[in-house]
Amino acid sequence: MTDNTEAIHISNVHVQYKQSDKPTLNIEHLLISQGERIALVGSSGSGKTTLLRLINGYLRPKSGSLHILGEEMTARHARRRDLRRRVAFVFQGFNLVERASVFENVLWGRLGYVGTLASIVGGFTEKDKQIALSVIQEVDLLDQIEQRCDTLSGGQQQRVGIARALAQEPDIILADEPVSSLDPGLADDVLQLLLNVSVARSATLLMSLHQPDLARQYAQRIIALQSGQIVFDGKAEDFTDAEIKHIYRQEPTTMSEIV
Amino acid sequence: MSIGEQQTDSYSKLKGYPKPTLRDSLLKYGGLAILLIAFVWAFNALDVNENALRNSPANILNFLNRATPPDMSVMDVAIQATLETLQIALLGTVLSAIVSFPLGLLAASNLTPGWIHLPIKSFLTIVRAIPVILLALLFVSALGLGPLPGVLAVAIHSTGMLSKFYAEAFENARPGPLEALDSAGANWWQKIRYGVLSQIAPDLVRDSLFRLELNIREAEILGLVGAGGIGFYIQLYSRAFQYQKVATMTIVVVIIAVLVEQTSVAIRRRLR
Repeated sequence: MTDNTEAIHISNVHVQYKQSDKPTLNIEHLLISQGERIALVGSSGSGKTTLLRLINGYLRPKSGSLHILGEEMTARHARRRDLRRRVAFVFQGFNLVERASVFENVLWGRLGYVGTLASIVGGFTEKDKQIALSVIQEVDLLDQIEQRCDTLSGGQQQRVGIARALAQEPDIILADEPVSSLDPGLADDVLQLLLNVSVARSATLLMSLHQPDLARQYAQRIIALQSGQIVFDGKAEDFTDAEIKHIYRQEPTTMSEIV
Repeated sequence: MSIGEQQTDSYSKLKGYPKPTLRDSLLKYGGLAILLIAFVWAFNALDVNENALRNSPANILNFLNRATPPDMSVMDVAIQATLETLQIALLGTVLSAIVSFPLGLLAASNLTPGWIHLPIKSFLTIVRAIPVILLALLFVSALGLGPLPGVLAVAIHSTGMLSKFYAEAFENARPGPLEALDSAGANWWQKIRYGVLSQIAPDLVRDSLFRLELNIREAEILGLVGAGGIGFYIQLYSRAFQYQKVATMTIVVVIIAVLVEQTSVAIRRRLR
């Protein structure tokens, strides 16, 4: 399933928010190959979102190096925009423009490919529109294509979010708690969809999940974070109940340390 | 012991609820007292003259008598001047909206750093503080009588408020969609266009329509200082004691104002 090209390569990266004196994220080494499907677990505040935002280019590392798709992601990278559009992000709260239609929201996922002047006057190309259309079909929302997003259910809105991510023609798909605002039944549908679309593109999928069970079910590899450090990194089948207990039980003590 | 009693009993053990402190009471009653004193003080300024009060009903009746029936012969002047007032208001609002859009962007705290939006916000506060009638007087003396000084006065005065409203609308845009477009590789302009404007366009239209309503009222007044529109004629005829003509003007103004407000409210309600 995986080839040997590097999707994400992190070494000695420290991220620290200004307010706190403890590093939010502290990763010595993390290598993810293209096409891997990984679940990121750990309790709230363990650094899952920070890691995803770092890979996404939303945060910049204070020190260390971060390579995405073989290129170093730096603050003033000339091809930063190039790189960012190849990394798609699916959000917990969907982050759609609610009064815009399904089609518009998905089409705007193409903005990274459109020139500034052209996009201000709405100059998306026929190709952009075709891509939007085909990914909307892929997430099975063609019937709702003209509907405003605020009229859709939570599950449908997350499918729009996934379609918008796919419109970027991504090599890497990041998902931050993609199902934690959804009913359990819908969660399975959405995770299955994320899995299918990633496999179809042999894209790398890295998603943070709150429930360890879902992680074991939908990922090949599991990375567990605790207080900003990687405490488990291995095959999904090796992520035993004992590991889970260990990771989630440890957290309260570290929380009190922070306070 | 019934269940109700048990409940009351367990409630009574919770004694930690916040009680008003002395400071709270002082603020509350002290504030009320200050308000009352200020009101009495302001009332002194009226310098009520009992004679004037006694005569006023007769005077008002006399005035109404002289104003009826409205002199319809000036209807065409009234309509023409009202249209001019509308033109002044419309032009002033459009000019102001054009200037307010970039100013509002720069004044929005979620889009620009503090050293940009804070000075701009202070500047707008100062602009808002200048009464429109002063601006009109200034422009009339600089540019002469006519609608142009009126347009400029309205435009500048409403920019102070409209830019602030626009900035608040921009600030109300949810950050989520912005972050999503950012991660799709959109640049600053694209994020403004698709992440912000697409969210808050109805608010901008709503604010502008509301400002247009206010500007029509401002423009009616501006004629008093010679800056065009119906106010000029109202002032002219009342100085000549031709109250029947003033009555016609007033009727037209009120009808137009009500029509515009109703239309604007109806449009604003449908925006979402």
